[in-house]
Amino acid sequence: MKRSTRALPVPSFIHRWLSGFGRASVITLDHAGALGILSVGIVKAIAQGRVRSQDVLRQMYIMGIQSLPIVFVTASLAGIVTSQQGGYQLASTSPAYLLGTLVVQSVVLELGPLLTAIVLVGRIGARITAELGTMVVSEQIDAFEALGRDPVAILGAPRVIAGVITMPLLVGFADVIGIAAGMVAANLSTGLGTEAFLYGARLFWHSWDLFYGFSKSVVFGLIIPLVSVHMGLRTKGGAAGVGLTTTQAVMFMILALLIIDAMFPPLLLQ
Amino acid sequence: MITYRNIHKAFDQPVLQGIDLTVDAGEMFALFGPSGTGKSVLLKTTLSLIVPDRGDVEVDGISVYRGGPDALGRVRRRVGYVFQNAALFDSLNVYDNVAMGIPEEELARTAKLDVARRVWSAIETVNLDPAEVMAKIPAELSGGMRKRVGIARAIVGRPKVLLWDEPTTGLDPVNTAAVERLITRLSDELEVTSLLVTHDVEGGLLMCDRVAMLDGGHLRFCGTPDEFRKSPDPRVRAFVDRAAAEAALDNGTNAA
Repeated sequence: MKRSTRALPVPSFIHRWLSGFGRASVITLDHAGALGILSVGIVKAIAQGRVRSQDVLRQMYIMGIQSLPIVFVTASLAGIVTSQQGGYQLASTSPAYLLGTLVVQSVVLELGPLLTAIVLVGRIGARITAELGTMVVSEQIDAFEALGRDPVAILGAPRVIAGVITMPLLVGFADVIGIAAGMVAANLSTGLGTEAFLYGARLFWHSWDLFYGFSKSVVFGLIIPLVSVHMGLRTKGGAAGVGLTTTQAVMFMILALLIIDAMFPPLLLQ
Repeated sequence: MITYRNIHKAFDQPVLQGIDLTVDAGEMFALFGPSGTGKSVLLKTTLSLIVPDRGDVEVDGISVYRGGPDALGRVRRRVGYVFQNAALFDSLNVYDNVAMGIPEEELARTAKLDVARRVWSAIETVNLDPAEVMAKIPAELSGGMRKRVGIARAIVGRPKVLLWDEPTTGLDPVNTAAVERLITRLSDELEVTSLLVTHDVEGGLLMCDRVAMLDGGHLRFCGTPDEFRKSPDPRVRAFVDRAAAEAALDNGTNAA
């Protein structure tokens, strides 16, 4: 009997969906593999003492000191808005001092770490990707390798170390500023006094909350430079390639931050 | 000596398809070919800046891809690479850029004064005034000066082999001639093996002992400059004629 060799017809939308899913899976695995290799390279460079402390300090200055003004503005506004909206919601239903609880918990658990991280994505993440991307397309990364230098140890590791150290410090600063701004705003908008605000803040305070917020900041401080270095070193093409990679890196970092942020409560707040 | 054995490399399309080529010790060798034929790709496989899909490269008997974990490091210490656009590090001044050409371990055990002397001497060798340029960053230099600093960085490590990737691209005729004189002088003075990838066919034919032409992923020609000029191969002839026409056009434009 003669066998038919014709394939069964597959509806075009299934074909398209499957090929799109396959492409996305390959790209995801490619990024995951490259991020893994980069992480191993950074750990090796640190373990072998090949990271220069002055490079780390320089990156800490750029990420930390130079970010203070924008973090100050963002944290102040976050505290003020939380305080005003909380005051409006609680005005007729709950004791006024609960506004202190609301502001402190919101800032320490969520707004401080997340808003600071998003600010750093724009200020530092995009900068790192564009800088390293430009070095790739102008063959400076090739030059490092040709001269027997390890670009991961020289360019990648100092940025990642600086991110992990600087981010918790910035988040601590953001927390203090956000709470102070929220306290002033509560006083101006609802007439809540400092003592009542602090009483509310202490009423539901757990030291664990601080650990929770700082744990997030350490993870965010690792993710932002790691992803931005990874994306920068993968840049292809000329100026257009640098622009495209920087945009992709910013999207990738914000998505990663939000996913990790959503994973924290079930892991650490149960 | 540099030996390329059966080098294959494909990106979206095959670029190099089984290249076998030997550049003898002390020889000055030019590699020609139309744009996009993989000349720079072949050059970059020498230092594993691009890894071939198949094949191996040997530099002075050290196998880059089969020589074990230290082989690449040993090869990179023997080779100076001059990049097409110099590839100077933007954030470093000329002194630090050139000093980066000294291998890391050597730099660590060399006294600062000796490093400074070597950097000074390398900058002088490429006909720049060290006192004038050392503190400048690359953005403050002209295109010709950047190329020279790139050459100084490649020679300061006292290499046995020099790889030149389009060293005259983007330069005006005066600077092109000056850089070509510099290449010839350095190759003689330093007694190095030189492999030169260039679009400047006339310059390459005048400077080099032997030349080769890549075309369609294959080595189309390998021989002396005289044999290249007289080659009956129609692809070689067409390339030589086109290069001559482009050179005449360039000269005409510059004269005007």
